Amino acid sequence: MSKVLEVKDLHVSFDTYAGEVKAVRGVSFDLEEGEVLAIVGESGCGKSVSAQTIMKLNPMPPARIKSGEIILNNKDIVKATEKEMRSIRGKDVSMIFQDPMTCLNPTMPIGKQLVEAIKNHQKLSKEDAKKEAIRLLNLVKIPNPEQRIKQYPHEFSGGMRQRVMIAMALSCAPKLLIADEPTTALDVTIQAQIMELLQEIKEKTNTAIILITHDLGVVASMADRVAVMYAGKVVETGTAKDIFYNPSHPYTKALLRSLPTTDMDRSVRLVSIPGTPPDLLNPPVGCGFASRCENCMRICHEEQPNQFEIGENHTASCWLLHPDCPGPQVGGDK
Amino acid sequence: MANNQERKKLVEIKNVSKHFRVSEGTLKAVNDINLDIYKGETLGLVGESGCGKSTFGKTLIGIYNPTKGTIIYHTADGKPMEINKKTLFSYSKMAQIIFQDPYSSLDPRMTVADIIEEGMIIHKMYDKHKRKERVYELLELVGLNKEHANRFAHEFSGGQRQRIGIARALAIEPEFIVCDEPISALDVSIQSQIINLLHDLQQKLGLTYLFIAHDLNIVKYISDRIAVMYLGNIVELASSNDLYENTLHPYSQALLSAVPIPDPDKEAQKNRQILSGDVPSPINTPKGCPFAGRCPYVMDICRQEKPVLEMKQGHLVACHKVEK
Repeated sequence: MSKVLEVKDLHVSFDTYAGEVKAVRGVSFDLEEGEVLAIVGESGCGKSVSAQTIMKLNPMPPARIKSGEIILNNKDIVKATEKEMRSIRGKDVSMIFQDPMTCLNPTMPIGKQLVEAIKNHQKLSKEDAKKEAIRLLNLVKIPNPEQRIKQYPHEFSGGMRQRVMIAMALSCAPKLLIADEPTTALDVTIQAQIMELLQEIKEKTNTAIILITHDLGVVASMADRVAVMYAGKVVETGTAKDIFYNPSHPYTKALLRSLPTTDMDRSVRLVSIPGTPPDLLNPPVGCGFASRCENCMRICHEEQPNQFEIGENHTASCWLLHPDCPGPQVGGDK
Repeated sequence: MANNQERKKLVEIKNVSKHFRVSEGTLKAVNDINLDIYKGETLGLVGESGCGKSTFGKTLIGIYNPTKGTIIYHTADGKPMEINKKTLFSYSKMAQIIFQDPYSSLDPRMTVADIIEEGMIIHKMYDKHKRKERVYELLELVGLNKEHANRFAHEFSGGQRQRIGIARALAIEPEFIVCDEPISALDVSIQSQIINLLHDLQQKLGLTYLFIAHDLNIVKYISDRIAVMYLGNIVELASSNDLYENTLHPYSQALLSAVPIPDPDKEAQKNRQILSGDVPSPINTPKGCPFAGRCPYVMDICRQEKPVLEMKQGHLVACHKVEK
C-alpha cells in the first residue's frame, strides 16, 4: 500500500486582533490507500483546522502555516500556489462538510452544480458530464436521479443533501476524502445510512478517508486508525482497537469513561473531566491537558511531553509513559 | 425512584395535540398524546428531529397552547390544576424549562445575576437583599461562583452557560423541569458534567424531569421511563431497561440499532438495521400508522388504521404487528 498523505509537524496559527491563536501546534499523521483515519477531539482542539489546511481552505491571512509539511501524492502542498491548489482540490483531495445546506449553492439546481464540478477537472462534453452526474447520484443512492438533477438544494432533505455533497466530492475520483463531521447535523437513522454509504464507497473506490468527528460511536463503527487531538496537538494515535481497549493518554481514558454505555444505570456516576480546554491564544507551556489531568505532575506544567511508543503504531504524549516514571499519582501536583 | 404503589401523578396529559396552520395545510406537530408524568421521575423523550418532541415540551410548559386536550398539574397541596390562561402564571412558578442552545437562550445584555433574579422578581419572591443571596446560592449550586454574578453571558463557555440556564430555571424553586436537549450543543467531556449536575440536583431538590434528547445512550442512562416519539405520536413507552431489552415497536428497534456504540468489536458484530427513506413531513399526514411508509414489516392494516398505544408484552406500544 502506498501513502496517500503525510502530514509532518504542522503548525497553523491565526493572526487576530487579540494576538496569535495557535490552533494547530505540531500535528503529524499519515494515511494509506483505502484507510479510514478518524480525528477526534472537542470543539476548538484544531481538528477541523488541520483538515482544512490539507486543502488550504483557510483564508490566508488570517491563517498562516507556520511550519511543517503536507505531502499529498508525493508533493508538498504547503508551497503550492493558489493556482496549483485549484487543480489539486477536487481531483486529489476533496471534502464534505458538516452542514450540507450551506455548502450547496441554493440558487442553482444540483445537476448544474455537479456538472460544473466535473467539467472543472475533466474534459467532457456537456452531455457526457450530465451522464456522469447521473451515474454519481446513482452511486450515492439518490432515487430518480434523472428528475432529481433538475431540483434545487432546498427540495432535498438533510440526508439527501449530504448524499449530493458526497457525489460532488467523488466526482473526480479523489484519492483522499476529508469528511468534516459528516453526520453531526443528521438524525441517527439518517446517520446510519450515510455511514453505510461512506463505507461502501471506500470499499468500491479504495479512497482514503479522514473522518473528523467528536462522536466516538461513529469512530468505532468506521475508523481503522484514530488520532486523538487536544489543544492543537495529537495526544494519542493508534488503531481503533488500541484507542478503545488500551487507551494510554489520560485525556483519551477520561473521554472514554465519560460516555454512558447502555448497560450502565444511574448508580454508576459518569466520569466528568473538570474544567475546560485551554485558551490557544496563550497555550500552556507544558502539556495542554495538565490543568484538567487527575495525574498531573510538576513537569507536566513545565515541559511538553515527548511521544512515547506503546505498541506498534500506537503512541501517546504523556509524561506518565516515560520509562522512569514511578506511576500515576492520583491527585497529582496541580 | 418510588415504586409503583406510591407513585404520585404530577402531570397528566390528556389527548393533547398541537397543530400549526401553514400555507400547505395543517402541520400536526403533536398528535393526541396521553401521558402521565410521576413525581420524582425522569421521563426521557426521544425521536428524530421534526418528530414534535420539542413542541410537546413547550406545550407542556405553557409556551404553546394545545390545540386540543388538557394538561392537569397536581400541585403540592394535592389539588389538580388545569393549565389554561388563568392558571398559567402560577403554573410557571412550578414548571420551568432548560433550553438546548445555551448561546441564544441567555440575554446578552443582562448580567448573570439579572438573568437568574428575573424570575424571582416576576413571582415577587423574597426582598432585594435575600434575592441577591439566592443568586449566589444558586450559582454555587450549579458549580459556578459568586464572582460570576456580574459578568455577561458571552464571557462564559458553552458548559458554563448551560449551568447559568439551569440556575435560572431553579431560581423560582420549581418542581417540574423540561430539559429540552440540554446537552446536545456541548462537547462530550462537558456533557457528563451537566448530566451529573442534573442528577445531583434531582436528588437534592426532588425534581421531576422531562428529558428530551436524541442521544439514546444518555437518555437510557438518565431516565426511569422512556417515550419514543415518531411524527407527533408516542409509539412506545416503557421503563428504560425494558425498552432496551424488549424493544417492541419497529421504529424503536431501528432507532436503537442505528446508534453507534463506542466499541469497535461490538460495532463489527452488530447487525445494523438501516431504515430507508427520510422522516415524512408532518403536514397532511396519511391515515394509518405514521411509520407505515418506512416500516420493514408493514401490513395492509397499517395503512388503513392507526394503531393505538396499548399494553402489549409488558409495556405500552402502538403497533399492529406486536401481539398481545
